[in-house]
Amino acid sequence: MEQPILPPESLTNEAIAARLTTTADKKQREGLIKKRNLVYLELNGCSGNIISLLNGQNPTFEYTLHSLVNLRYSNSLMASEGEQATEKLIDVLDEDFILAVEGAVALKDEGLYNVIGSWNDQPLTGLQAAQMLGERASHILAVGACATHGGVSAAKPNPSESVSLQDVLPDRNMIKLPGCPVHPDWFLGTLAHLLLYGEPETDNLGRPLMFYSTLIHDRCPRRPFFDRGIFAEKLGDKTCLFKLGCRGPVTRTDCPTRQWNGSVNWPIGDDTPCIGCSQFGFPDAMAPFISFDTTRVVKDE
Amino acid sequence: MHNIALLRLQMNHLVTQARQDLHSLSVMNDQSDQSQILQRLWDTVSTMHFISEMLANQASMPGYYVLPAPTLLPQQNGTTNQTSIPPITPLPNQTLPPPNQRQFTIEELATYDGKNGRPAYVAVDGVVYDVTNNRAWAAATHFGLTAGKDYTAEFQSCHAGQQSILATLPIEGSLT
Repeated sequence: MEQPILPPESLTNEAIAARLTTTADKKQREGLIKKRNLVYLELNGCSGNIISLLNGQNPTFEYTLHSLVNLRYSNSLMASEGEQATEKLIDVLDEDFILAVEGAVALKDEGLYNVIGSWNDQPLTGLQAAQMLGERASHILAVGACATHGGVSAAKPNPSESVSLQDVLPDRNMIKLPGCPVHPDWFLGTLAHLLLYGEPETDNLGRPLMFYSTLIHDRCPRRPFFDRGIFAEKLGDKTCLFKLGCRGPVTRTDCPTRQWNGSVNWPIGDDTPCIGCSQFGFPDAMAPFISFDTTRVVKDE
Repeated sequence: MHNIALLRLQMNHLVTQARQDLHSLSVMNDQSDQSQILQRLWDTVSTMHFISEMLANQASMPGYYVLPAPTLLPQQNGTTNQTSIPPITPLPNQTLPPPNQRQFTIEELATYDGKNGRPAYVAVDGVVYDVTNNRAWAAATHFGLTAGKDYTAEFQSCHAGQQSILATLPIEGSLT
């Protein structure tokens, strides 16, 4: 009976997530897992990742707050404001904490293009906060396109001179979760892995292999159309969107199997090309997002 | 070409393949082999899905047996009015193109920009390659680069030492 057998449990995303969260709950009640401090810093970005995070299911964001971490600071979600909010940020510095950062770091005019609060009547810039917390955090998660590689904030002509978090913390190891926005499972899954087992296995660009190992193209349900050279001519066509500029062949995520909005659908499932939002260099390197004038040969009827 | 008997035969073949892979997965322990078989299983299921859609499509249109599916391979599609692509031989000294290949000036190369149905060509180290149906060149663009240009320096900066990438591309000629 040494042979591995196929598991009899349900293997849907929901069932797996429910089993994981129940186990984690139990371990926490038994004192085997301890909640840790989380600082969620929003710098130069659009807050899209935290909005995506609030859409999380299995686990939900409420579960994260109740059972996974003590959220000590979040620009968008905390009740405190002004210097009282900054005080909470300063208080965490002497404790053990995990730092999650979304948004790029604006460098222009010593970071004054992105002020996140004030401290001792002085503006606290995103640059100062990133360096101050980044040096002391036990683990760092760069969340979303802007934090991992500059993303939309650093797109040409980049008036705020935004750079990635790694650029201002060159000596720190960090887990990079690209995506515009990041999928709630990618962030919460990485966070849960960090608490349960330590840092997850990553590729040479710092992305966790459990979410970012496979090309979209290799899991695309429309791959047979690509292999046969049957291409969509317009948005809404049910065939391969390659000739319209689909970036699935250069983007590594598990979107085809995980899907979005509670595993309901994903761009290609809705007949629109992948724009490569989780690829380094997005958006400039992934543009144009859609092209109609391409190598496709249009036959006259 | 795509008659129902043939599709059924292909479907049965895929079912056999899938069963074989499922059996292999249930008895094997080697991680690296597992991922290869999982990939093949995934592709098999995708193809089965495709064929079942095709069959359903034909069933709903009784008088319509032949799909307008191209009989050409993707690599040849879109270049039908060009000279046919010779078989690719990935030799180490591939920088020397065969003598019967076409000579491109930089201006001629610029017309193969992948627009308005034209094929997409790019040049690296004096060799002109066809990227029309290369999967990393969707809509004839690749990480901000557009087709029809010489990308020797760009290839060096991103893919230094990865000559194997070039070896898989159809050669169209050389740059003069």
